Amino acid sequence: MSAFGDDIPRSLAEMPTSEIKYIGQPLQRSEDRMLLTGRTEFIDNATLPGMLHCAILRSPYAHARITRVDTSAAEALPGVAAVLTGEDAQRWTRVLPTTPEGWGGYCLATDKVRFVGEPVAAVAAASRYVAEDALELIEIDYEPLPVVSDPRKAIEPDSPLIFEENGHNIMYERLFTWGDVDGAFAAADIVLSESFRWHRLGANPLETFGVISQWDAVDNTLTCHGAFQAPSYMARGRAAALDIPSNKVRFIAHPHGGSFGGKGGGRGTDITALLSRKTGGRPVKWIEDRIELLIGGGSQAWDRWYDASLALKNDGTVTGLRVKLIDDLGANAEGFGASGAAKPLACFTGCYAIPVAEYDLKIVATNKLPAGPYRGMGPPPHNFVVEHMMDMAARRLDIDPAELRRKNYIPADKFPYTIPSGNEYDSGNYEAALDKLLEMGGYKGMRAEQEAARAEGRLVGIGVVSTIEPGVFDWGAYSIIGARGTGVPEGATVSIDVWGKIICRVGFAMEGQGQYTLITQLLADYFGVTPTDVEVIQPDTLSAPPHFGPGGSRLGVAITGAVLGAAGLVRDKLIRVAAHLLQQDVSNIELMDGRLRVKEEPEKALTVRQAAATMMSRADLLPKDLDMSPEATFVWSAPDRKQADEQGRVKGYLTATNAAHLAMVEVDRETGAVSILRYFIVDDCGTRMNPATLEGMIQGAVAQGVGAALLEEYVYDEDCQPHTTTLMDYLLPTVHEVPMTEKAALVTPSPFTPLGAKGAGEGAINTTPAAIMCAINDALAPLGVSAREVPATPNRLWTLIQEAKAGKS
Amino acid sequence: MKPAPFAYFDPRTVADAVALLEEHGMDAKVLAGGQSLVPLLNMRLARPAVLVDINRIDGLDYIRDDGDAIAFGAMTRQRAVERSRLVREKLPLLHEAMTFIAHPQIRNRGTIGGSLAHADPAAELPAIAQVLEAEFVIAGPGGTRTAASKDFFVTYLTSCLEPNEILTEVRFPLLPPSTGWSFIELSRRHGDFALAGVAATLTLSGGSIADARVGLFGVGATALRATEAEVLLRGQRPDAAIFEDAGTSAAAAIDEPLSDIHASAEYRRDLARVLTRRALAESASRAGAAA
Amino acid sequence: MIEQARVDPYAKRRVSMLVNGQPYEGEIEARTTLVDFLRIDCGLTGTHVGCEHGVCGACTVLMDGQAVRSCIMLALQAEGASLTTVEGLATEGELHPIQQAFADCHGLQCGFCTPGFLMSVSELLSSHPDPSDDEIKDALGGNVCRCTGYQQIMDAVRLAAERMRT
Repeated sequence: MSAFGDDIPRSLAEMPTSEIKYIGQPLQRSEDRMLLTGRTEFIDNATLPGMLHCAILRSPYAHARITRVDTSAAEALPGVAAVLTGEDAQRWTRVLPTTPEGWGGYCLATDKVRFVGEPVAAVAAASRYVAEDALELIEIDYEPLPVVSDPRKAIEPDSPLIFEENGHNIMYERLFTWGDVDGAFAAADIVLSESFRWHRLGANPLETFGVISQWDAVDNTLTCHGAFQAPSYMARGRAAALDIPSNKVRFIAHPHGGSFGGKGGGRGTDITALLSRKTGGRPVKWIEDRIELLIGGGSQAWDRWYDASLALKNDGTVTGLRVKLIDDLGANAEGFGASGAAKPLACFTGCYAIPVAEYDLKIVATNKLPAGPYRGMGPPPHNFVVEHMMDMAARRLDIDPAELRRKNYIPADKFPYTIPSGNEYDSGNYEAALDKLLEMGGYKGMRAEQEAARAEGRLVGIGVVSTIEPGVFDWGAYSIIGARGTGVPEGATVSIDVWGKIICRVGFAMEGQGQYTLITQLLADYFGVTPTDVEVIQPDTLSAPPHFGPGGSRLGVAITGAVLGAAGLVRDKLIRVAAHLLQQDVSNIELMDGRLRVKEEPEKALTVRQAAATMMSRADLLPKDLDMSPEATFVWSAPDRKQADEQGRVKGYLTATNAAHLAMVEVDRETGAVSILRYFIVDDCGTRMNPATLEGMIQGAVAQGVGAALLEEYVYDEDCQPHTTTLMDYLLPTVHEVPMTEKAALVTPSPFTPLGAKGAGEGAINTTPAAIMCAINDALAPLGVSAREVPATPNRLWTLIQEAKAGKS
Repeated sequence: MKPAPFAYFDPRTVADAVALLEEHGMDAKVLAGGQSLVPLLNMRLARPAVLVDINRIDGLDYIRDDGDAIAFGAMTRQRAVERSRLVREKLPLLHEAMTFIAHPQIRNRGTIGGSLAHADPAAELPAIAQVLEAEFVIAGPGGTRTAASKDFFVTYLTSCLEPNEILTEVRFPLLPPSTGWSFIELSRRHGDFALAGVAATLTLSGGSIADARVGLFGVGATALRATEAEVLLRGQRPDAAIFEDAGTSAAAAIDEPLSDIHASAEYRRDLARVLTRRALAESASRAGAAA
Repeated sequence: MIEQARVDPYAKRRVSMLVNGQPYEGEIEARTTLVDFLRIDCGLTGTHVGCEHGVCGACTVLMDGQAVRSCIMLALQAEGASLTTVEGLATEGELHPIQQAFADCHGLQCGFCTPGFLMSVSELLSSHPDPSDDEIKDALGGNVCRCTGYQQIMDAVRLAAERMRT
């Protein structure tokens, strides 16, 4: 088999079974019994002998010099085992690596603090209660420095500097020009321009980050248990930061309570590791509390200022797109948040055959919390901008917005299609998705209802949007901001025991997407067993096959490749056993329905179990060069990936899932409150592996999209003091705020992936904010105003409506 | 987020509770339902040296039909008030307001007295108290005293309770017949504190407004009565124009509307106008039905 | 009469309660929250901590049959009470109908919020065996889920109600 597994089935028809029983079924999840009975060992449920508890002291200032640190009173408190300061961090660790390079600090602030919430000291004590008591006894003197809160000011030459040694606050800037953009705009019949403000929001999983670190200084090993989304990459990062040999760093990722990219945890892991070292190797547990997550965690993203322009012909053809983005990344680049500004390249021109495009990107440092990844990783705001521009075009030309999109779609016969920014969309049929959506939603009837409502003076709006969800990322997608290498590995080891039970070892922990269940479905159909015959084990990072884990809507596809690749290698071994025993040539034996059978005489066969048992217990019956193990490991990575070229063009993502959403909303004319009346979704993610989990992914992302459009915002004032410090300030959608949606599927399989599935984990968050904002703006259209600040809070919409009234009189 | 340490007492009588408060004064806080206090303790925003838990005092949990009023023991759980058939029939305005308070799990522990004593201007119960002109029975070292609703709510999160006093009972007078009512609030999410809210009653007589009460919450430092708007309404015919004027008057009379990350002062003021008008219209239709 | 004040904030007090029918006892500081008592002192880690200010609902347990937020209760306030946590739902390896309905309808993903939901649903169905959608939403409006978007949770509650009625 080649490095990229050419042998892996490309469609369900190629699976070695005459009837697919489990893949594609809404199979109940194998994870569920443990979760439902409260037995799953989330990190805060774990205890180790001698364990201490950590609390972290955080800066109350956004920008200040640290002039004095006195921990003596804290150290003297009964129950306190150790206190850590920046001095310890400087002595024992290295500055944290960042992307882009050069914008990181130590895990505890040393000479100055750069954001409210930055860790400045930490305590390990007998309980979290005592640890927090001890924090209050630590004395730190600060000398406040000027604060910069607006990235547009931060790029000015006289701005306060976040990292003086860098001489400026611009973490990254580049103008990407793909094609003759100036020419297209000069020749356009119409040029539309608009600006937008998208406020900070973020992941906020129900479970915050947690870690238990144990640094045994005697044999210099580090063991960390935690809610790690990408365990082996976290382990690597800690090995580098703490200067511990990488083969002595063992990370155990516990099942965790959601992540959505925002678990963060680098500094917390290092802090607990240092505390462990300082207490002679006792395990130290830190559980991030909700306030810490809100002001100091990995959960903020997409603090953006956009300007966009569209070049149009009178007939509605879009001939060019310009997007200018100032992205406020906050006080350092440790969180990998810059990737959110790079990812839009993967779907820059959306579903449309726009031939040329430009991206004017600045990523800027300010004194706010450093941004991290959040589900969607950047396209959600970008898609809102593009879809709004399309609606502007439709309004300007008096064309129905659905028809304007249809006119500009990439045609179904043009795939694989390369967009101006270099990414390749594998397959799709956007028009078919739109047709299905409009029919499902009763679009014509909706417009008639809208007319009637408008006649009564009600502000009812309809949004119909189409987006691309890029799936299965490679490092090339982020090479423009400094990510190195190509190939994101995902490995699986498949083995069969003497009773025919199957064990699959993987590197990632459960996070909620149901990939463990997916693995049982794949192997059950592959080897002709039942899902309960398959057990998924997740060893620690030193024992697991190479892996990345969930992220960038990759894991469903990647783990399918890994599992089927490994299964194929095991199959090859079993075929050799069967061929030897049945005295056939290897090419005459095939696996089908759990039997290794002679192709021309299928009744002559060995079961998979018989072959495995033979391998493990009858070495005398095996070919001489076959080892005694029905086990194999395969590491899958997306084929045909490269780094970006000189224009920044890159095939960064392997798959392109299409979503089309139709939303109907009403805006209360007097209060600005928004009600979502109806919501329809057509989703095309290729081969659908488990409809129940897929529907869950979509609906969950709808909820986050509603939150993004209407509710969620991290508020900072001019001193970069956070005002969203509890869940009464940062508003997560409840069952009352999320519409129940009607969903339908379209299937255009991917030609590039195992079984033709596409990445679908980020789902609706790429689309829902655009759908709701477009619907709101359709509602406001008769007033001649548009909402371009997200979230569209009642206050903001009320202000727009007042402006419209003032304009009239 | 763990509380700072405190000494804990759980007295069994009102007298014992008052004695503890007398002894410890400003160092002590009363723990009733805890739904507002314990979060503050967890965040260390409240750090009393002494906590006086009054949940073990017998005889503070009751709903009593006084004929022209309903009296509630201060420790009556909000859920009990919500579920009370007596309240639903005799004080439908109060019943309606209960369903907006947070969520059932909070109402299972939160108490009617605790919410009132906490005096959050964006909460529902203080507004009901203001509109129904509730009477508050307060126990202190010198015995009991009563306070009228307009005197009970002093300012933001501050009632007239002294550090050595506890609320023991609240009496809500019933509304006269031919009275319609309405309760409307706008919040970011269902169950959140109101950006603005109105509790209104309208008593009709011979086709005119005999009495009108408009209570605003979420907009000022306390829940307040829009007294000028009420004067405007009295004696008028209940129609859209007068409700519009009443709304404008109510909004204009708010001294300094609250401003926070969820809503500006200007927006709150206009919400008060709109919701007042809507509440009066709804009250009128209920009054018409009641007449 | 009050004993002359033991005003020692670190003084330990004994607390005892029934949890899932079993007696549990401890000696704790007064500031110990109920959720920490359950998780740390009783070892019942099925109830989770999500916010510690009573907003997310992950810590919901039943106290004398009523759903409460254990993160904003002191353990001492549960003295003598009878609590039910998620560990008390399944009996001898058999899932409770509410748990089974959640599994059947894919009403959970990461599972962190799930114990809190199960307890809120348990209270709802004990007083409303045939709840309307609005009644279900009112009961669950205080439980936040970040993964599911609530639609499959609504399905699960309707299914559980139906099965428990028959």
